[in-house]
Amino acid sequence: MEMGFFLGCNMPAIRPDLEKAIRETMPDLGVDLIDMEGYVCCPAFGSFPSTDDDSHLAASGWNLSIAEEKEVDILVECGSCYSSLSMGRHHLMQNDKQRDRVNTLLEPTGRTVTGKSKVRHVSDVLYNEVGTEKIKQVVKHPLEGLHAVVQYPCHTLYPSEIVGFEKEARKPVALENLVRALGAEVDHFSREYTCCGGAGGFTNNSPAEANGFIQETLDAIIDETKADFIVTSCITCLMHLDNVQKTLNQQVGEDRYTIPVFDYSQLLALCMGKDPNQVACISTMPRDAILERF
Amino acid sequence: MDMNQTDPDLWKEIFNTDDLMYCYNCSTCISGCPASQADPPLLIRNLARKVILGLEDELFDDDTPWTCVSCSLCEEMCPMDVKPFELCLAVRKWQSRNDETRIPPSIVDIYRRGYTQAVGANTELREQLGLPELPVLSKLPEKRKQFQEMLMKTELINENAYMFSEE
Repeated sequence: MEMGFFLGCNMPAIRPDLEKAIRETMPDLGVDLIDMEGYVCCPAFGSFPSTDDDSHLAASGWNLSIAEEKEVDILVECGSCYSSLSMGRHHLMQNDKQRDRVNTLLEPTGRTVTGKSKVRHVSDVLYNEVGTEKIKQVVKHPLEGLHAVVQYPCHTLYPSEIVGFEKEARKPVALENLVRALGAEVDHFSREYTCCGGAGGFTNNSPAEANGFIQETLDAIIDETKADFIVTSCITCLMHLDNVQKTLNQQVGEDRYTIPVFDYSQLLALCMGKDPNQVACISTMPRDAILERF
Repeated sequence: MDMNQTDPDLWKEIFNTDDLMYCYNCSTCISGCPASQADPPLLIRNLARKVILGLEDELFDDDTPWTCVSCSLCEEMCPMDVKPFELCLAVRKWQSRNDETRIPPSIVDIYRRGYTQAVGANTELREQLGLPELPVLSKLPEKRKQFQEMLMKTELINENAYMFSEE
């Protein structure tokens, strides 16, 4: 199976070790990744989707048409990119007038958008296409004896009608079952299905309240679980959960928040025997306690 | 409140869908909304009321839609399918159309280089990790030109073309 790899902006620019982890793991699991030359911003919700429909759907159509030209579905890790591309595709498929307009705008490129290329999140492909049985078979170094908690990326859950791939959007299981396939125990906590709050204008416009919001989640993880690390599958969740702990420690004046954070693809790569210096080398919170096992 | 000062047709300009009229103020969109804990709080239910009642001046100055994290939990949970997240974006769009100072600078970045971040700038680290050269717009001048020409034909960018000229 061949898929167009939509990189987004944060992963290739700030956390390319995660990009490496995805490029190293997916082909071994039967998913070959091809580049989407000339892809642009998803578009981020704070950009064209906040100014007008015309530029919003033109940018969505630009990206979708690259995959359609290559006759592949799109693989995305970033939650915001996944949601924006999925919603853009949804609008273009629902509204003939808007689709015609975008195709007129795309004419000079020779590409068109029809909706034939689907948008898939990496955790969806791993869970529903590759499957946990196959993942168990490729694990060389399991996470036995370790406890994990899962931060579900909200953009992969809601609105389920457009982005959903879980049987029950309000009781997601994909990510925790994927983590169990690597041999770790998954602990539950009271704020498990709460958004990390890291995307969009919350952290910029109201930083103190945004930090307080995620602090409650981290407190719940510390007080209610035996978590050795947090697993997510979204670059925003990954960077926010990792970076905010340093800020919170400065606020409370002690190192209370020191939980390592991984993207699932990084853990998968480590368990498959890939080089930790390549697939999990960038973080704010030290991850040595986990990495030294590999 | 003086209802003579309101515009009963404002909703058609902002969010022209019957979905909105089914809102009965239950506040499901607020509980669970991260930005409802912001200062000032984003209260989507109040936003819906302002649009329905046509409180143009209040909406024009309302910064709270820009605090939304786009998680779309409100969209999932709304019992009346009002599509609160779409409403939030629609208010931002209406503000951007009517007040150029609302237009986010990120769209200029995307117009110029394709992305909000400087994607493709960290070549040394990428080489160390054995990653391929990025298929980014800055390395594809023909595609970059096509992208900019496409955007320049879209409504809001065309009207505000001066913002996008290269220095």
